[in-house]
Amino acid sequence: MTAVTAHAGEKMQQKDMTRPLLEGKDISVTFGRGAEAFDAVRAASVTVHGGEAVGIVGESGSGKTTLARALVGLQRPSAGEVWLEGQPLFSAGTEQRMPRSERWKTQMIFQDPYSSLNPRMRVWQAVAEAVQVWQNLSGAEARMEALRLLNAMGISDDQARQFPKSLSGGQRQRVSVARALAPDPKVLIADEPTSSIDQSAQAQLLNLLRRLQSERGLAIIFISHDLGLVRYLTSRVYVMQKGDIVEAGKTQDVLERPQHSYTQLLIDSIPGR
Amino acid sequence: MCQQKEREIEPLLEVKDLCISFGKGGGRKLPVIDAANLSLDQRQAVGIVGESGSGKTMLCRALIGTLPRHGAGIVSGTVRFDGQELAGAPERVWRGIRGREIGYIPQSSLAGLNPVLTVETQLVESITAVGSFSRQEARQEAAGLLEKVRIPRAQQVLKARSHQLSGGMRQRVMIAAAIAQGPKLLIADEPTTALDVTIQREILSLITQLRQELNMALILVSHDLAVIEEVCDDVMVMYAGASVEAGPVAALSKAPRHPYTRALRVSRVDRAVPGQDLEAIPGDAASVGSWPAGCRFWPRCALADEACRRDTQPALMPTAQQLSACIHAERMAELEQ
Repeated sequence: MTAVTAHAGEKMQQKDMTRPLLEGKDISVTFGRGAEAFDAVRAASVTVHGGEAVGIVGESGSGKTTLARALVGLQRPSAGEVWLEGQPLFSAGTEQRMPRSERWKTQMIFQDPYSSLNPRMRVWQAVAEAVQVWQNLSGAEARMEALRLLNAMGISDDQARQFPKSLSGGQRQRVSVARALAPDPKVLIADEPTSSIDQSAQAQLLNLLRRLQSERGLAIIFISHDLGLVRYLTSRVYVMQKGDIVEAGKTQDVLERPQHSYTQLLIDSIPGR
Repeated sequence: MCQQKEREIEPLLEVKDLCISFGKGGGRKLPVIDAANLSLDQRQAVGIVGESGSGKTMLCRALIGTLPRHGAGIVSGTVRFDGQELAGAPERVWRGIRGREIGYIPQSSLAGLNPVLTVETQLVESITAVGSFSRQEARQEAAGLLEKVRIPRAQQVLKARSHQLSGGMRQRVMIAAAIAQGPKLLIADEPTTALDVTIQREILSLITQLRQELNMALILVSHDLAVIEEVCDDVMVMYAGASVEAGPVAALSKAPRHPYTRALRVSRVDRAVPGQDLEAIPGDAASVGSWPAGCRFWPRCALADEACRRDTQPALMPTAQQLSACIHAERMAELEQ
């Protein structure tokens, strides 16, 4: 963990709590046209400050993944704007793509660590590829950097020489995190990162994400349908239902005094309550 | 719960020292389960918890006689169900058991339904398998089954195909098919894994209600201890092909006697304090084919010593109110410091 904490001090100083790091303003995403049109997200506004961990919760189909994809530029919103560090990244209606010079700042890890890594690339190669996309390094230097990132995620040099199929789900997910950290991003979006891995691996991954946030100042958007995870990891939360943000606030307040009946239903559904 | 039971009655199901290996015949054998033990009374609900690769699903498949035909086989051990030995039983015997006596809900409800047939066709198939039903009667029975699993607008759902149904609805149809012949035992293999928490809650309470209405025993497989604690009386914990702890849910949750059971509990995020590290189990789960010698949990265990590394996987032994396969079961308190 020591390697990744080097930037922590610098990052903390940059943190400006008055101006959000990443901001989505009235984002709508509509799939299809005319009578077939389906609003996956309706006028959702989200802000994330530097070093902050924010949760988006809701059921399958509530629009949480679509909203997150719009925030990182993987999904063009049909209305609304996305701002990063006070600069408009893109707005609906324009053909402009997210500029390459900005793209490194937001990175994402996905739900399924089995399908998000190339099965024919060795683990270190998958990470070195990402390193070379973002940093102007020679092959040998990129390899060193990839191994450094992987070691910091608890993946040994030995494991880095394997193909993804030889790794467990939890290890693969940590490889995905190493890959996402290659450009030293400011925001990491984690889309249900623990839902397909075993419980003992879950705890390892959550500890890792929490440290990246607290020690390195990485902002994390954590998408989950599990309020237990969100309670543990985030300080603010947005609750989505059928494309709308129905409740938002400090995680503790929302969980202790939910204002919306849907939030209450989610809380009551946690196993063991 | 189960302490007051009269022990003279033979359990409904008893699995003793079951070993299952891949690779039959003369070739190299790869054990996937080598010490599974499970005991279940009439109408009792037992949970099986463990991580992927621990052998939960293989055990279930052995209990309904659907181990991969050319791949895996029971090497040793016994499976007694309702007074009958099922380990190594021929297919003819299994036909009288599977579905009729033991109902099964597989892990993936999407894969469990045939995408080109309507729900009605598939349920009628389950019902007529017992015989002596006219088509008309079977159809009425199918509609009745959907009502039993609380599906509103049953007639509409009967005409639907699986892709037109939500995940929760599909799981209800799978449950309807599993209980069609009134089994004594229902096995549910991770029935809520892919579902949202709200739907999970509905499915779990449906299973509990049906169990009471139909006087069924239940085996619920899950990787989530919280789910099992909600539904079951007893729990059996599996690690790397072996039963490592078994007993009443309350005993295992208050005072686990195997370090792995304890680790599963303390690494849970719903008990964690925000801002503090979770107590993660170090390392990775032992995978099939690379089980360590000695107790399989020792490389990840804080109590492990020379004896754990040297001896073979310990058998389940009585301790406190449960059974534990840890030779240091009495030293569990040390882990709390």
